[in-house]
Amino acid sequence: MSARLIMKLRVASARLTTPDVLHLSFIHPSRPELPAWTPGAHVDLRTASGKIRQYSLCGDPADRAHYEIAIKREDAGRGGSVWAHANLDVGAEAHVSAPRNNFPLRENAHRHILIGGGIGVTPMLAMAHGLVATNQDFELHFCARSEKEAPMLAEAKAICGDRLQLWLSTSGRRFDPGQLGPVRDGVHIYACGPQRLLDAVRAAAAGWPDEQIHAEVFQATLDENFKAEPFDIMLASTGAVLHVPADRSLLAVLRDHGIQMPSSCELGVCGSCVCGYRDGVVIHRDVVIPLGARQDRMAPCVSRARVSVTLDL
Amino acid sequence: MSVDVKGPPRPRMIEAFEHAAGAIAAQTPGGATGWRGSLLHIHIAPAASYEMEELDEAICVAGRGIEGDRYFSGLGTYSPKPDVREVTLIEQEALDALNRNDPPLQSGPLKIEPRDHRRNLTVRGVPLNHLVGRRFRVGEVVLRGGRLNFPCKYLEELLGLPVFLPLYNRSGLNCGIERGGIIRPGDPITMLDESE
Repeated sequence: MSARLIMKLRVASARLTTPDVLHLSFIHPSRPELPAWTPGAHVDLRTASGKIRQYSLCGDPADRAHYEIAIKREDAGRGGSVWAHANLDVGAEAHVSAPRNNFPLRENAHRHILIGGGIGVTPMLAMAHGLVATNQDFELHFCARSEKEAPMLAEAKAICGDRLQLWLSTSGRRFDPGQLGPVRDGVHIYACGPQRLLDAVRAAAAGWPDEQIHAEVFQATLDENFKAEPFDIMLASTGAVLHVPADRSLLAVLRDHGIQMPSSCELGVCGSCVCGYRDGVVIHRDVVIPLGARQDRMAPCVSRARVSVTLDL
Repeated sequence: MSVDVKGPPRPRMIEAFEHAAGAIAAQTPGGATGWRGSLLHIHIAPAASYEMEELDEAICVAGRGIEGDRYFSGLGTYSPKPDVREVTLIEQEALDALNRNDPPLQSGPLKIEPRDHRRNLTVRGVPLNHLVGRRFRVGEVVLRGGRLNFPCKYLEELLGLPVFLPLYNRSGLNCGIERGGIIRPGDPITMLDESE
C-alpha cells in the first residue's frame, strides 16, 4: 500500500454533534488546499502518545480547504477517542495523514443504497455529497437510537433531502434489511456501523454477489480463540529467513530486521502494511484484503502463516 | 498483538568520501568550477512521511545532519540503511524543468514546490551532479558530496505525482557535513579548493 503524507493541521471548528460525538473541521495552516480525496476515504489521526486511529472523512469532497471527521467518545475504547475529545479544541494542532480510500463508491452503478448506523454514517455523508454532485441515484438509511443521538443529522437532512430515511429505534422504527429484496443489477449496497447491523445487512442480502455489497469496519474481527503459533518467513529479495515467535507480530519482526514497513492501525483494518507473499499457507486475520486478493497479499500486522511463507520483500 | 516499544534506530551514516561513489569521484579530476550559487530554501521534516517544514535558519552538525530533521534523529524512512544522508540538496533548475515539462516525459508540467520534494536544501546556480567527491561551502558550513540522489517510488506515493522518471539524474545530491554551523536562505554556495 502506498505511503501517505502526514500533515500538522489546525482545528478550525470543534463541536459536539451529539452528546458523545465530536465533529471536527481541520485546515492546513499554510496551504489553501488539502490533498484531494474521494467519498469513502479515511484519514489517520495521531494522538499525542503516537497512537494512530482511522476516521472517515464526512465532509464534502469538493471542499478542498477542510477535512471533516466525527469522533465518537468510547470511554471503554483504546484511548484515541477520549484523547481527541479532551484535546482537539479550536486552534489545536493535529497530526493527520493524507486520505486513503478502502471504501470507494462503485462507478457505473445505477443506484447506490447507503446504510449508516450511528457514527457509521460518516462515510455515507461524504458519499451522499459525491452522489448529489454527480447527479446519481441513491438513498441513505440512517440508523440511530434517537434524533438526539444521530450524529450530523442536520447535515444528513440538508444533503439528502427526501433521499434520507431515518430509522430511530426509540421511536420503534428499525431498519429492516429485508427490504433490500432480491438482487438487482447495477445496484450497490454500502454499509458502515455496528457489527450487528453489518451482519443483518449481509444476512438479508445473502443472495447478492459480493461485488455489490460493500462494508467498512474500523475494528478488526474478534477471534478470541485464535492461538498464535511461531513460523518462519523468507524474504524473496535476499533469501534471508526470519523467525516469528508466537508472541510477536510479523510486522514487528520485519522492523527488528531493519525492513521499513508502513503501518497505521496495526489491527488489520487500514491496509497500510499489506505486502505480497508466495508459496506458503497464510492465516489471514485482517478485514481489509478482499477475498480475491488473499492468495498473494497479506497484512503482516495481524496475519500469520503455517510453518513458513515467502514474502515478496 | 505484540507492540514494538523500542526507540528509533540510531542514524547510521556513511562518511561522504567513504561512500562507493564519493570515494571514486574524489580521486577523479574534473567538474565545473568558477560557479557561484545560492541557497533558496531550507526544509526539514520531524519524522518519516511528515510534511516538510521551512526554516529561516538551520543548525548543521558535522557528521550528523540538520537539527530537527528526520535523518538527524534517525526517524527517516531510510534511516536504518547506512548511507550518506546528513544533508540532501536539489537544484531549483531541475524543478523549473519539470514545471515546463522538459523533457516531455509525462502528459504535462509537474509543479513541485520546494517543500514538496523532500530534499533539505533547494539551491540555484549550483551544478550538483558535478559535486560528488567535491567539497563546497554553504555559508559557513562545508559539505562533501557523497553520491547522486535518485528519486524513489516512495516520493511518488507521498506526492501522488509521477516524479520518478522526470527526476531521474537530476534528483540532487546527498552530502555529509565536514564543518557544521548555521545556514540561512540567501547564503552563497561556492567550491572549495583542496587547500582550503
